Amino acid sequence: MDILLNEEEQMVRDAARSFLESETSTKLAREMEKDPLGYPPALWKQIADLGWVGMCIPDQYGGQGLGLTYLGLVLEEVGRAIAPLPLHSTTVPAITIAEFGSEEIKQAVLPGVCSGDTLLAFAFQERDPRIIADAIKTTAVLEGDNYVVNGTKMFVDNINTASKVLTVVRKPGTTGRDGLSLLLIDTDAAGLTQTLEVTTAKDKQGRVDLNNVKVPKSALIGEEGKGWPIAEKMLDVATALLVIQMEGTARKDAEITIAYAKERTAFGRPIGAFQSVAHMLADAIMWCDGAQLLGYEALWALENRGNAGLEVSQAKSFANDRLLPACRIGQQIHGGIGFMMEFDIALYYRRVAASTMRLGTSFEHRARIAAALIDQPGTVRLGEPIATL
Amino acid sequence: MEFAYTPAQRALQKEVQDFIAKEVTPEVEAEQDEIGRGPLVEAVYDKIKANGWRAISWPKQYGGQDGNRLDQYIVEEEFARVGFSVGGGGSGAPTILAGGNQEQKDKYIAKLISGEWSFCQGFTEPQGGADLAGLQCRAVKDGDDYIINGQKMYTTGAHRATHIYLMARTDPDSKRNAGISIFLIPMDTPGITVRPLWSIQNEPRAPRGTTYGENRTNETFFEDVRVPANCLLGEENNGWNLSAMGLNLDRVGASRYLISVRRDEDIVNWVKDPANADLAANIKDNPSARDRIAECWTEAQVCRLMTLRSMSIVEHEGKFTYEGSAEKVWAPEHGVKTTETIAALLGPYAQLLNGAEDAIESGLYAHNVMGAFQSGINHGSTQIMRDQVALRGLGLPRSR
Ligand SMILES: Cc1cc2nc3c(=O)[nH]c(=O)nc-3n(C[C@H](O)[C@H](O)[C@H](O)COP(=O)(O)OP(=O)(O)OC[C@H]3O[C@@H](n4cnc5c(N)ncnc54)[C@H](O)[C@@H]3O)c2cc1C
Repeated sequence: MDILLNEEEQMVRDAARSFLESETSTKLAREMEKDPLGYPPALWKQIADLGWVGMCIPDQYGGQGLGLTYLGLVLEEVGRAIAPLPLHSTTVPAITIAEFGSEEIKQAVLPGVCSGDTLLAFAFQERDPRIIADAIKTTAVLEGDNYVVNGTKMFVDNINTASKVLTVVRKPGTTGRDGLSLLLIDTDAAGLTQTLEVTTAKDKQGRVDLNNVKVPKSALIGEEGKGWPIAEKMLDVATALLVIQMEGTARKDAEITIAYAKERTAFGRPIGAFQSVAHMLADAIMWCDGAQLLGYEALWALENRGNAGLEVSQAKSFANDRLLPACRIGQQIHGGIGFMMEFDIALYYRRVAASTMRLGTSFEHRARIAAALIDQPGTVRLGEPIATL
Repeated sequence: MEFAYTPAQRALQKEVQDFIAKEVTPEVEAEQDEIGRGPLVEAVYDKIKANGWRAISWPKQYGGQDGNRLDQYIVEEEFARVGFSVGGGGSGAPTILAGGNQEQKDKYIAKLISGEWSFCQGFTEPQGGADLAGLQCRAVKDGDDYIINGQKMYTTGAHRATHIYLMARTDPDSKRNAGISIFLIPMDTPGITVRPLWSIQNEPRAPRGTTYGENRTNETFFEDVRVPANCLLGEENNGWNLSAMGLNLDRVGASRYLISVRRDEDIVNWVKDPANADLAANIKDNPSARDRIAECWTEAQVCRLMTLRSMSIVEHEGKFTYEGSAEKVWAPEHGVKTTETIAALLGPYAQLLNGAEDAIESGLYAHNVMGAFQSGINHGSTQIMRDQVALRGLGLPRSR
């Protein structure tokens, strides 16, 4: 037990921070909000060369074979820098493919991902946006060598630049956790259309309509009809990584606000000398710390234990509930300027706000926690692993 | 980052758990409830000591084990769960170890660790505790002695303690914290009077495990109390710095953590227990209730992780900037939130105190409503602790 970063982890974090500080800026982030791609390909290539995209992919497919915590540390820095990179949306399906895909599919897809040539996306949520199996209505019917897919996927991040989207589908006539499968669908397949939304983060989330899309049988990840544990793991990985990324953004927001509170004066003193201001900032930092500690533990548990659902849902519900208020404190302390489009603090606020709304509401995550705590026999004790149901 | 205990740490934890299952019998627990430290409890303490589990991280020469802080934490947590305190010498001892002269270390620490001696804390005064630097209790040098006059408030345990750890002003012209010194004084010194102050928890007594279940604290009066100069800890007028160290060490650890989170476990286990099926039905299947239980649970995990962070910092011999203070804001406020949540969930049963026929868990939850908030006042109130986070952690300018 030693929950501080070890030397290697610190090195990875520091290297990511200094790279992003020199290569990205909030100006770039704003430009990319208006850019049709949403990211600068040259920068993407650079981070692929640094090994970030393939960080958690085994080395035989061109990756670094490191644990999830390392990718978490990098994404925390990506969040801190608001670096416009489709790293989260590509690595999540790639990690899922590496863990559950066939040898053939891994060899076909992963080297291109690690080199930065192939971008991926993942699609779980639908019009009923709950992150539970019941919400999956998109169907896949096997006809000959192809699945025929019909349905609508929502909030698919960076769908505009992905060449393949890892999609959770259902066999018609099944319910609940039965009958789910994951298909890696080409985004240029006939019958697949995408419509980008306009979001608080001004990112590239899209709706994906699948209308009789033919997907070869070989695109199946895992076994047909047994996809729930794979989908659940993919969501858990995605959620834990998102928590730590949004925490990176929120902490930077708090740091900017702290600096502002030392400089800005009112009534003849720095506003940070007013206790009500100071105490809000103390809360903001504590909330960032809480999200970070829970987020790190979730990543660690995903890497080192089978079932980490409890840790993941703890982290996301807490991050949802506390990081938006942490950044709202930043808005409050900035006064009027925080409301101005051109001022950075508003950018951080928008980004964190949007992340709190993605990949499960606090209520959903807490329902999962409550079920794990209450709906199975035995007593609970803090610090002991508890499986989710 | 490593969030699991090593196999050796696990084994230690298991060993202690097995010991507790065998030795802390219902008879021992009954004695704890009735008289506190009686012969049965003392016998268990003797065995704990024989197993080398007392004050693990303290120096061997004073009765510790020269071990590491995390091992101590593991053992401390298990014993704290059943009401045994095995950490170190208790309040005061860390400061004596850090700032005392050799004679004082030899004299006090081993006896504090063994439990033969104990300190009560003489900080707070009638005019205020948060603003500790404003204290007025006077110690005047008179030849080889000091003569002490003043009054201390809320001297918890003063009626049982062998000594008082006293903060007094040695330089009358000093402002604020500059002229303050610490004295280690036997309670039987002539001129010391202890009077009880009965708390909100008095009559009926709170059940064991209640957060701030103490039914009594005290006020302690000093009238021309003459003590030899060797009662002075460290240097004259340096008491503030010394004591800041002691307080920091006091703020982190297993018992601090547990008093803020025990109810989070208790309510889940109570709801799940088939014996409570009738009373808990309203909670168990109620989505809003479940939501709030999960929320409290999650916040309790943050308490746990903040504590482990502190332990990790200690292991690395790192410096605390704000982490201890942050814990001292977060954990008490969390404890209150859970306490009030449970009260809301239990409804009318949450009123029933110890001794009521229909009380749940001997009135634990009802008594917690009367005690939990107190942990946000003691040892640095949450307001003062937020000031510390802002000042020392964030580098914000002083507000006063
Ligand atoms: C059960 C119990 C046991 C105790 N045990 C001991 C003991 O063993 N030894 C001991 O010395 N003391 C003990 N105390 C005293 C405790 O430490 C004090 O109550 C505490 O320090 C607060 O002091 P006070 O009660 O005088 O409140 P005050 O100092 O009068 O404070 C009142 C309120 O004002 C707030 N406040 C004060 N200054 C500021 C500021 N600058 N900014 C914002 N808010 C501020 C405080 O946070 C508090 O909310 C005990 C108290 C209790 C109830």
